[in-house]
Amino acid sequence: MARHDEGVITVGRSRAGTVAANTAGIIFGLFMLFPVYWVLNTAFKPEAEVKSFSPTFLPQSPTLDNFRSALGEELFIPAMINGLIITAMAVAAALVVGFLAALAIARFQFYGRKAIILIVLAVQLVPFLALLIPLFLMLQRAQLTDSLPGVALVYLVLLLPYTVWTLRGFISGIPRELDEAAMIDGCTRAQVFWKIILPLTGPGLVATSVYGFIQAWNEFIIINTLNSPENQNLMAWLLYNQTERGTAWGPLMAGAIITSIPVVIFFLLIQRNIATGLTAGAVKG
Amino acid sequence: MYAVDTPPQKTAEPARPEPRRVNRVRRRSQRDARTAWLLSLPTLLILAALLAYPLYRMIVLSFQNMRLRELITGLTPPWVGLDQYTKALTDGVFWGVVARTAAFTVVSVTISVLLGLGIALLMRRVHSKVRLFMMIAMMFVWALPALVAAQAFRWLTDSDFGVLNYLIDKIPGVDFANHSWFVNPWEGWAVITTLVVWAGIPFLAISLSAGLTQVPKELLEAATVDGASAWQSLRNITLPILKPLLTIVTTLSVIWNFGLFTQNWALRDGHPEPVYQTLATFSYTQAFGQSRYSYGSAISVITVLLMLGVMAFYIRQMFKIGEVD
Repeated sequence: MARHDEGVITVGRSRAGTVAANTAGIIFGLFMLFPVYWVLNTAFKPEAEVKSFSPTFLPQSPTLDNFRSALGEELFIPAMINGLIITAMAVAAALVVGFLAALAIARFQFYGRKAIILIVLAVQLVPFLALLIPLFLMLQRAQLTDSLPGVALVYLVLLLPYTVWTLRGFISGIPRELDEAAMIDGCTRAQVFWKIILPLTGPGLVATSVYGFIQAWNEFIIINTLNSPENQNLMAWLLYNQTERGTAWGPLMAGAIITSIPVVIFFLLIQRNIATGLTAGAVKG
Repeated sequence: MYAVDTPPQKTAEPARPEPRRVNRVRRRSQRDARTAWLLSLPTLLILAALLAYPLYRMIVLSFQNMRLRELITGLTPPWVGLDQYTKALTDGVFWGVVARTAAFTVVSVTISVLLGLGIALLMRRVHSKVRLFMMIAMMFVWALPALVAAQAFRWLTDSDFGVLNYLIDKIPGVDFANHSWFVNPWEGWAVITTLVVWAGIPFLAISLSAGLTQVPKELLEAATVDGASAWQSLRNITLPILKPLLTIVTTLSVIWNFGLFTQNWALRDGHPEPVYQTLATFSYTQAFGQSRYSYGSAISVITVLLMLGVMAFYIRQMFKIGEVD
């Protein structure tokens, strides 16, 4: 973080202004964190404290009951397993298929390349929910509704354009001279792929699959529409949980934390990539 | 952007080498093209089957009248021509939804972008420890799944035990006990907008603050020395340099916020009242709530058409800026 300091302007800045700016910054940070803090606060309170007209800002008698009761819910663990299976299937398939296309766009000059780039970019902007009606009818006819592979198939399409686009960036970053040097030394195209591009794209593959995991893990509308309660993921469980018999806020917040933990950890690991990915070109100017 | 990406044909042309070499180059580039298409084929097939075909089916569906009966029996739904579109376009409810979605998009994007820019500028002025704190706070918010964030806000604004009512009620002379935030649509939409802005700020502020590092500080210092006010420096130096990035993040925000679903869906318990419907939830409710699959499709088609201009603009910007080589 320290390197940002280089850009700080010191000329013509009043002390009072700096104090005001620091105060505003701290208030902003607290405001942003408050909902997160409140979720944590609630999750560790016993039910009597959750349902209190004068809520306390720390649990008076902290307890893990809410986590226990969330984990004990009939469909919670199955939803977690379903989510992991669907996500793994979708991410793995997107990675394999997407890598090949990324390779083509990044390393070959061919008629239609621009068209493929255009398709990959445009497809990311299609409001996916708009396609849910025909997708539902198609999967219904193929008898793939209320199944995990059906949802994974839809998620695959959801992840694929982004995967292609990001991996293309990573492959473009590998100096082409490496390929050429290897080919002069007698490597075939296939060997260049296995021995140079694939190993060097490793970090990119990790970052892309982590982002894919987040996308698939966070999705709930599609799975909620296609599958019965037995075949939901954790996000959909969070949604289902709210509509039945009023809201049990404590367990819901505990469930929300359990659901968020992998996402938050993964996100913080790859945040650098996400922050630059969407706007890299614009920053470079 | 990538000099190495220049097409091989171009390098062969000016030298005018002997014909045999040209042939070899052409043969190699033909083989390359075949390999490239082969590599792209799986992606293209999947996109065709699960994106292009559904898109086509959606359009076909919008000219039919598919209801629950056809879904169960598998019979071809009757063709009704433009009936679904006429129905939508002559329906006051539909226009209400369009106006509401558009108004929400304009308001939420304006607030988000202005606040995001403000926070990005603020981050340049604060102490490095304060900046780190702001960064960490924003990262947590950004990392939070949209549905979890929505559930958190639903809990904060709960009429019985929500902490928001409790805090407001503490102000002397104000009675907010058991206040229901979603009875008055203005208040309800204020909650939804706050949620969307709160969740959207990290992306905007962090991207824009990255963009601000591109502004040469010598330029700003020189302007200050020459007597330019902070506002003048911002308007005449910072904003012009930031413009391409601002355009991209604003366009993305418009696309995302226009498709609002998760937030109003979750905050209204999965049954948004008419006044909380947006185009996305309206189409969804028509199709899956009321089994009006064709009417829902027609609304989706209209939604996509409404967004087409913005999407084309985004793609053009990406090409123009050179992210796409």
